[in-house]
Amino acid sequence: MITEERFFEHFMDPVDGVLCLSATSDAAAIEREASPHGLRFPLLLDRATPLCEQVASSPFAPASSRYGPYCDNITGMNWELPDGRRVRVGERVVKSTTGYDLLRFLLASSSRYGRAMDYVLRLRPACDTSRVFCLRGDAACLRSALKSLLQSTWMHWLDSVDLVAGDSPFLRVAVHCPALEFEAYQDFLSAFSKKFSLALEPAAGPALDGCPDLVVKTTPEFVADTALSLAKHPGAKCVALCSCGVVHVFLPDSGAIGEIVRPIESALHAMGGHWQSRHVSPSPSPLEASWISTLRKEWNIS
Amino acid sequence: MTPPINAVVAALHRAAPGSRVMMSPAQMAGYESDGLGYKSFRPDLVVIPSDADELAQVVRVLHDARVPICLRGAGTSLSGGPVAAQGGAIVHTSKLRAIREISLDGFWCEVESGVNLRQLDEALQPSGLCYPPDPSSGPVCTIGGNVASNAGGAHCFRYGVTSNYVLGLEVVLLDGSTHRFGGPAGGNGPWLEDWKRLMIGSEGTLGAFTRFWLRLTPRPEKVWTFRATYPDLQSTERAIHGLVRHPAFPVAIELMDPRAVALVETSSMAVGLPKGHFLIVTEIDGPAALVDLRVESVAEVLRSAGSADVLFSDKAEDRENLFKARKAMGGLLGQVSPDFLVQDAVIPKRALANLLQLIYDEADRAGVPAVTVMHAGDGNLHPNFLFDSRIPEEVKKVEGISKRLMQRVVEVGGALSGEHGIGNDKSAYMPMVFGPESMHLQLAIPQIFNPRHQFNPMKVFTERRFVA
Repeated sequence: MITEERFFEHFMDPVDGVLCLSATSDAAAIEREASPHGLRFPLLLDRATPLCEQVASSPFAPASSRYGPYCDNITGMNWELPDGRRVRVGERVVKSTTGYDLLRFLLASSSRYGRAMDYVLRLRPACDTSRVFCLRGDAACLRSALKSLLQSTWMHWLDSVDLVAGDSPFLRVAVHCPALEFEAYQDFLSAFSKKFSLALEPAAGPALDGCPDLVVKTTPEFVADTALSLAKHPGAKCVALCSCGVVHVFLPDSGAIGEIVRPIESALHAMGGHWQSRHVSPSPSPLEASWISTLRKEWNIS
Repeated sequence: MTPPINAVVAALHRAAPGSRVMMSPAQMAGYESDGLGYKSFRPDLVVIPSDADELAQVVRVLHDARVPICLRGAGTSLSGGPVAAQGGAIVHTSKLRAIREISLDGFWCEVESGVNLRQLDEALQPSGLCYPPDPSSGPVCTIGGNVASNAGGAHCFRYGVTSNYVLGLEVVLLDGSTHRFGGPAGGNGPWLEDWKRLMIGSEGTLGAFTRFWLRLTPRPEKVWTFRATYPDLQSTERAIHGLVRHPAFPVAIELMDPRAVALVETSSMAVGLPKGHFLIVTEIDGPAALVDLRVESVAEVLRSAGSADVLFSDKAEDRENLFKARKAMGGLLGQVSPDFLVQDAVIPKRALANLLQLIYDEADRAGVPAVTVMHAGDGNLHPNFLFDSRIPEEVKKVEGISKRLMQRVVEVGGALSGEHGIGNDKSAYMPMVFGPESMHLQLAIPQIFNPRHQFNPMKVFTERRFVA
């Protein structure tokens, strides 16, 4: 009963809300397919970078706050191994427990075992109102407000809640909703900002910061302090994706990454966190190197 | 050569003196099968380690003795996963029941693998946080089994399945060594690769889970539950298509077919559902200020698809009644039939009416009663085929229908399992899904952690046979 190797063809399925297209597609290409059906792919770091490069630079985007990481929003892909062999991993349906989860493993593995050729993206309903707000105030008020917001049931309905850390840190909240509901969001954010003595103001553009040079994965509890601390590095800009416990670090010089991560690495590992960068990669331990070696041998990767 | 079983038992007593070891036929009987009751395999022994350290010692002894090892939680799996398909030992995690920590500010909890979902939910109640996956066996099933099979449930359409909530896990590998992949932060920890991704949903074939770090999320402030009836498959499908694209993003979209409704309504679990119709139960939740705005538009989606009978309520008892009816199915099937087989395919939602009709046609032609429920938002189909496993002809019919159904599922672009896992029930169907190269990649994974398939042999892939 052995079948031939199966692959995903490019398709747009508006009923299931899934889209298969080249992994090198950018935001405009995705929108061309999804928008006519009232759908969108919310997980973007910027508009111009190919999606595969965005996925390689961080497992999370600001809208992961509401929709989860990339690996929960890419349901399948065509994957090319380093020697050119191609396989299909994952499914076009959003739910599957069928064999080992190579999809999530490979998505997290950078290009060590090959590269994605095509993605199947899980799309979401597109609404007519998108707004971004900044909440500004002193550091203590921002911390209290953030803690309260993360514990609120509104967290499920905000596209992103980010702490933008720099000289003057502020909270950035993105709302994407039907026009009918926008007033309820506004009322909530007004009351919330007043309660924590924060100034609420509309932001100029969408919550897109580009591909980070360094990604630090910690817990939501420590994400704000981590971002504020990392932002002290000269020239660094940090954006904490608060409910995900992720800090995106943007640096003028990627050569500084080793110096930045060395002081925090062991604490991160102790809590099951880690750092990753599209510029440099940590080395595996001897035990892990032996597992990787077995995997590469079994997969015939030299 | 495998040592005599008595020598293995003696070694277990020495290495793990707090563990309980059972061998009598009466004791083994309770471990012969899981929820897939008709395929039974008698283990040679059952070990109940007193804690994670002893579990590691037990694994080491069984590994050295070349005994097949099968981990088992509550045994509620529906795919023939936690059974001793090649004999050997079942290691039962029932003593690993501690909820070790709940972090309110970090939105995570640390639990041992034998904790069940009701226990966890009760512990989380005062915190205002919740762990969303909710398989129907929730009152008894364990987190360990949920992670092993990547369990889902009714409310996973919006909230996601188990793999979306596992931040980290601790696993005992075949040599008895204990490793932690991830942790409260949900990253890789000191590892370069994200090994936990391979562990989740691995159905006990890579190692023995001892504890987990799980992501928690705020409990919703308000819930509205809707019930709508439909006269036919086409209008039912229209309603589902409308709901999945609604910006209110329902938490759950559940379907019961007329046969499922009739089964509930003629039982002691009857809640007053209208018989003779397809029934959709859907739910929206969130801040009261938002969900109250959404109620009418969700009701309108249900009406415009063709329902003349849409009811909705924000009362907890109405909600509990509806989900009690939906979740009572497994128990009721056990009362009306000697055996039943639950399938677990996931299909593109445009094929929903087509696949349901195929099930009815096949089952009616074969004279096999079929009752279908579905996590319709995810396209996760659960047809239940009722039969008597003492009659070989009935077994043959049911297995034939299952195979043809799975072939059709793969043809329309679906998956063999959404939340139950493959176990030994569907392992023969895996070549329908994986071509030679993909199969090669899949079978490479146990070569890293369990190369001789000593952990849970004969599961997931038929090639996984343990050779001592």
